[in-house]
Amino acid sequence: MAQATISFEEVPSNVPGSLVKIVKIIGQLDESNVDEKAKEIYAVLEANPKNLSLIFDVTGLEYMNSKSVGYLTDWYQKVTETGGSLVVVGAKPNIYDILQVVGLTQLINFYQTLDEAKFAVMKK
Amino acid sequence: MDNTKTETTTESDITRITITLPTNAYFMSGIRDFTLSLIKNMTDFSEQWAYRFQSVVDELCNNAIEHGSAKKNEEIKIIFLTKERKYVEIMVEDSGTGPKKMTALELSKLVDQRKNQDYTEIGIRGRGLAKIVAEWTDELKFEDIENGGIRVRIKKFLNDPELEKDASQLQGQQVVTGRGPIGPTEKIVLET
Repeated sequence: MAQATISFEEVPSNVPGSLVKIVKIIGQLDESNVDEKAKEIYAVLEANPKNLSLIFDVTGLEYMNSKSVGYLTDWYQKVTETGGSLVVVGAKPNIYDILQVVGLTQLINFYQTLDEAKFAVMKK
Repeated sequence: MDNTKTETTTESDITRITITLPTNAYFMSGIRDFTLSLIKNMTDFSEQWAYRFQSVVDELCNNAIEHGSAKKNEEIKIIFLTKERKYVEIMVEDSGTGPKKMTALELSKLVDQRKNQDYTEIGIRGRGLAKIVAEWTDELKFEDIENGGIRVRIKKFLNDPELEKDASQLQGQQVVTGRGPIGPTEKIVLET
């Protein structure tokens, strides 16, 4: 079975009423675990229905299947529709390749470092 | 993988590896590792393509497990064919016992439909075959098989297949092809 861990870290925001969280994913997301893991992120969205921005740190993500891409698209739509933003940082070449072939790199901004991602999210 | 069966045969320059395994997504990380290793070590494809094949095989098997061999104790079969310096062909067969059984033609039409859909229209599922497998292969075919299941067959040529076709039709000419793993294809025809 694929192994993956998801952790959350809150980033101090300079915008009143908004919340920024780093979502760090390590391991592999595939059919054996993605549905369970996705629930953890949906829980964060439900707890923060407005002005939530997510920085997905995928530096340690080794594989993601098409369903996890689907979830990422859904999170992006939910977050941006309610005043927040979603960016990705540290995608390995194979992960970026997957996201590129399905068209997500035209939708979501990608950054090399966490500092760049934080800066981009904060200035919005 | 105690419940899997593996068979390897080699004929001239074609290596055939067949893996039969129970329909359980838990085995897929092992299959992905195997695919990566196979492509890296037994073909001339680049590392980028080895990772792409990893995704292709994962998506084909997920589709077979979910839609084709969904009952307990069913199996799927994965067949890898590598022709040295030419192509990689992969077939995944299911047993046709999925809850929403489709014919090869129906599945083919669904994939064609999803190829042109915007990312927002697809939903959580539906990208695997249409976006990933279709984009990263030169041939994608669906066939009904005797047991009632479907065989999905993909082929990826090391060099541009259109140029391979041109080369076989040209007489008295030398065709030099150049293609990087992801770069543009160049064709130079030298008159001899």
